Amino acid sequence: MTFLGWVFLVASLAFVWGLTGWCFYKVMIAPREIEQPPDLLGG
Amino acid sequence: MAQHPSHEAWGTRVGVILAVAGSAVGLGNFLRFPGQAAANGGGAFMIPYFCALLFLGIPIGWAEWTMGKYGGRKGLHSSPSILGVFGKGAIARYLGIIGVLIPLAVSFYYTYIEAWCLGYFWHYFTGGIGVDAAAPIAEQTARAGQFYSDFTGRGENGVIAGGSLQTLVFWTITFAVNIWLVFRGISKGIEKFVSWAMPLMAVCALIVLVRVLTLGTPDPALPDQNVINGLGYMWNPNFAALSNPQTWLAAAGQIFFSLSVGFGVIINYSSYLRKKDDVVLSGLTASATNELFEVGFGGLITITAAFVFLGTANMIGVVQGGTFGLGFTTLPVVFAHMGALGNFIGAVWFLMLFLAAITSSISMYQPALAFFQESLGWTRKAGTTLMVSLCVVGSFLVMYYSKDGIFWATIDDWVGTFLIFVLAMVQIICFSWVFGVDRGLDEAHEGALLRIPRYYRWIMKYVTPTYLLIVFAAFCWRNLGDWVRSVADEPLRQGALLLVLATTILLVVCTRVGEKRWRAAGLDIDGREPAKD
Repeated sequence: MTFLGWVFLVASLAFVWGLTGWCFYKVMIAPREIEQPPDLLGG
Repeated sequence: MAQHPSHEAWGTRVGVILAVAGSAVGLGNFLRFPGQAAANGGGAFMIPYFCALLFLGIPIGWAEWTMGKYGGRKGLHSSPSILGVFGKGAIARYLGIIGVLIPLAVSFYYTYIEAWCLGYFWHYFTGGIGVDAAAPIAEQTARAGQFYSDFTGRGENGVIAGGSLQTLVFWTITFAVNIWLVFRGISKGIEKFVSWAMPLMAVCALIVLVRVLTLGTPDPALPDQNVINGLGYMWNPNFAALSNPQTWLAAAGQIFFSLSVGFGVIINYSSYLRKKDDVVLSGLTASATNELFEVGFGGLITITAAFVFLGTANMIGVVQGGTFGLGFTTLPVVFAHMGALGNFIGAVWFLMLFLAAITSSISMYQPALAFFQESLGWTRKAGTTLMVSLCVVGSFLVMYYSKDGIFWATIDDWVGTFLIFVLAMVQIICFSWVFGVDRGLDEAHEGALLRIPRYYRWIMKYVTPTYLLIVFAAFCWRNLGDWVRSVADEPLRQGALLLVLATTILLVVCTRVGEKRWRAAGLDIDGREPAKD
């Protein structure tokens, strides 16, 4: 394994792990979806 | 429309993300990607690969998510009806049929391959496939190849005649589970299933990855065959490959097929979102999850394991053996060398492949089911019956004409590869040029948890279509002539294309019927008015 091999390996893994982690973090901290209660009065 | 699927909806944000990611993560993530990377520049392959992700995969994915959600607000859930809105007329609507044809026709052979994974899992779970680690490597490979050939019926037409009644049994189980999950509906069936199948798949991948990375140097007599050198075989960059157009084509193709963009699934899945639901972050998260499985697991497991046990001398054959050679012939030899843990790791590996496959295959049925319900005004039960009938006929033809895998490989070439380019091109042109990229991104930002950077307007309007066109032209230049000649020479290929043609005719008729019904119901199928709230 050459030095550049390590560079590409680590950079690629950091990119995909970082992107996925950041995305799921944003999804988890987003406001929860709130179901509209049924309009019992039908109005 | 008496029975309309529009009351279907996703239960949670994570549910739809996992469903789309599950659709994208398939056998290609673990088997095709490493082979492509190793053969096309190793680490250097990641440069064109990530370029294709940023300029092709993610933008087309965002366009597809947005089109689906917008179509859903108009009460539409199938690719023909939604593309009719975005393309403002009948041409885009009929081209949209490709978005139903691709998942449906691919499902004809995908469940068959999925059944192999289940069958291999069962064999490893109950004692392995009989590869003797003490025999010479050539003999082990021949044994694994023979098992693969017998199990999949490659020797002669007819999986039963080929000596593999069990393949039919595993296919029946696989197909029944798929249909049961799809019939239960978006939230209760698909979403519920992927919510535990995706994490389980990640756990399986992690187990195999840990085992592979801790292999060290299994044979002290062969000190060069170690994990670090195995990683080097996959990741050491060969920058000369970057000057070869084939490398860029391979990278774009890998991203394209891996993310399931232009496949007709995302547009259907996102049509069950509500107006205030996010598509930007969800689309990006689904793509990122796919990349995690592909690069984070696929990029570390298969080539490394094969190198450690088979050595440099055998690796050229491994890489050239392609997706199925690597997964079903090479890796069984590798598992045989893992000693007492070999069968356990083999079982975990094939369970992981089965989960990757089934989370993809369930997504292939929903677009067709929604289309039949929507176009014919049928109930879910009636729509499922028609879809199952078609799939049974298609899958039985695939399994009957099993010799050398020619029949299903032809469908894979023309539908699962060629038509994906066509649909993606139709989608990005309808979104960015006919509907308008500014209006399209305004729709994308409705309820979005993340803003698409402004420069993506320019990318989606100019860069993505041009990039796609160049890749598609290069793809046709390299492949189309050979493909046409091989169809002319081989009756099995002609039969496969006849099956595709018959399916297409049925879908055209259904679209024609649906068109009349949608107009009669007063639906805005030509996209003349904005969607109502």
